[in-house]
Amino acid sequence: MEKVFFDKAFGVLNKYSAIIALAIVVLYGALFVPNFLREANMTAILYQYSIIGFLALGQLLVILTGGIDLSQGSFVALTSVVAATIMVHAGAIPAALGALILCGGLGLVSGIIVAKTKIPAFVATLGMLGIGRGLAKFIANAKPIPIQNDLFKSLGRAELFGIPVCFLLWILVCILLFWFLKKRRLGRYIYAVGSSEESARLAGINIARTKMFVYMMASLFTAFGGLIWAARLGSASPIGGMNYEMESIAAVVVGGGSLNGGVGSVLGTAAGVLLFGVINSILNLSGISPFWQGAIKGIIILLAVAISQLQRRRNSKYK
Amino acid sequence: MKNVLTQSKDTLQLVTVLIILCIFAAFLSKGVFIQPVNLTNILVQNSILMIVALGQFLIILSKGIDLNAGNIVGFTSVAIVLTQGYGTGLSVGVTLIAALVIGAITGCLVHFVKLPAFVVTLAMSQIVYSITKVIGGGAAVYTGTDGTPISPVILEIYSVRMLEIPLPVLMSAIAVAVVALYLKTTTGHFVYAVGGNERTAAISGLPIARVKISVYLLSAALGCMAGLMFVARVGLGDPQAGDNLTLDSIAAVTVGGASLSGGVGKISGAVIGVLILGVLNNILNLLNVPPTIQPAIKGAIILLAVYLNSVKG
Repeated sequence: MEKVFFDKAFGVLNKYSAIIALAIVVLYGALFVPNFLREANMTAILYQYSIIGFLALGQLLVILTGGIDLSQGSFVALTSVVAATIMVHAGAIPAALGALILCGGLGLVSGIIVAKTKIPAFVATLGMLGIGRGLAKFIANAKPIPIQNDLFKSLGRAELFGIPVCFLLWILVCILLFWFLKKRRLGRYIYAVGSSEESARLAGINIARTKMFVYMMASLFTAFGGLIWAARLGSASPIGGMNYEMESIAAVVVGGGSLNGGVGSVLGTAAGVLLFGVINSILNLSGISPFWQGAIKGIIILLAVAISQLQRRRNSKYK
Repeated sequence: MKNVLTQSKDTLQLVTVLIILCIFAAFLSKGVFIQPVNLTNILVQNSILMIVALGQFLIILSKGIDLNAGNIVGFTSVAIVLTQGYGTGLSVGVTLIAALVIGAITGCLVHFVKLPAFVVTLAMSQIVYSITKVIGGGAAVYTGTDGTPISPVILEIYSVRMLEIPLPVLMSAIAVAVVALYLKTTTGHFVYAVGGNERTAAISGLPIARVKISVYLLSAALGCMAGLMFVARVGLGDPQAGDNLTLDSIAAVTVGGASLSGGVGKISGAVIGVLILGVLNNILNLLNVPPTIQPAIKGAIILLAVYLNSVKG
């Protein structure tokens, strides 16, 4: 009886570990860190981490199918550069659309490579990382491009009731994605493909199409993050977004996602993103050297994965 | 027997690609490419990548992946420079021990806690990068903590020749020999088995812990060697020394025919993979391809190479 209770408690703890951790960290920040609850600090976190947030949602989709997307960081740079280049000749909206279409297209190419060849996702998106970075540098001639368009810049600066619009958009997309993964057929297929490709195939699921969709969506989310990034910065940079893919992978993993596929949730991922944001902010406000941030991040990732691993081992022991 | 034949065919195919690239480069450069000076230059330029790729190769062979490879190079380069006050030998020794500790922790987390190598090395890379910045003050370092300049013994590595061979090339050759020898030892012999199917290996009673941890130890040691060479080449220690090395080494190893699902790959393949990437860089420069678009072309070629490898298999 006691064992069952503990197992249940442990299961809940594991399922919501990122949310629980986020709650604890926010509580700690509110109680012990001066200025943490100040509006300026809060909005700063929300601005910065809605970018990683979009990337993480895309990464979640890919990881759910058992893949991985390493091209995100370079796609952030590519989107910013493409949008800025188009903006010189046309308005903000064609620029944003052009960037989204290009990145979505490249994502579709990754998807086709992963779905139709035996190249593992890691290598396919590693190649795309190089292609994205090269294109970005080539288009921008290796120089940053300033962005003058006020409409475009408002994407990274506008606020509604004191809350950044880009954060509200992110929350909206989170809700839509949550609904999509839970209720839509294609959403369920994504989990099925990641859990067992063989069973999914036998069940008549079109695996190739599911994968292509997932990589294209991931790149679209990434491109959206890239647009916010450029709007916030007021400039496009071909060397921007370096290693952002690692941040998004970390957020998904801390949010309970498994790199083997089939396990992960929008809720956990969102909590993972915000967890890193809040911890960084607390470290900054407490005057701890920013140099330590990576170490703390690394330890959190290890702890999160160790907990979920422990849970999985327990499950397999009692079954 | 069939296995042996197909394996030697794989190597033959890679060598063919390399030779075709070399002939192409020779024509482009009107013969400059095949001059011994240029050929040794390619070897010298890629010696650091070669050493890192060998470590990456071992880990990939054991069904792992090392996202920390580059940051170990950054860490060791900074640590070696900072400890210059203790003399060259001690400084390199202490740094090597630190690198081995990192390797041991990584190996233990992968083996005993059973965490995926991808996540462990991702986390370790953050931790190591962070520690590097803390000890070095976040920027490149030029002298030891007590102001001792970098020892000339280290700085001369890139100008010394032994038997007409530049020392960096010799060092990468030694690294190749060490890894080849390791694969012949009783522990190293089992890397293929453990990477191919760990469960079967465990049931057969193979020393899995020893195999997996030794792989991470050896690759950390190679990382330290690469860090030392970085200091020699650039004359400073830099936390970002290995920024491109992680992904470049993975690319070289996969181009060389190793499989990311473990258990498949040959050391000759890894070496040729590094050389293919090196010659490719050289060709892109010879063709006057603007450096801005080069990453894109390299990415496309990596994809093509891996695709060709996967089709024939």
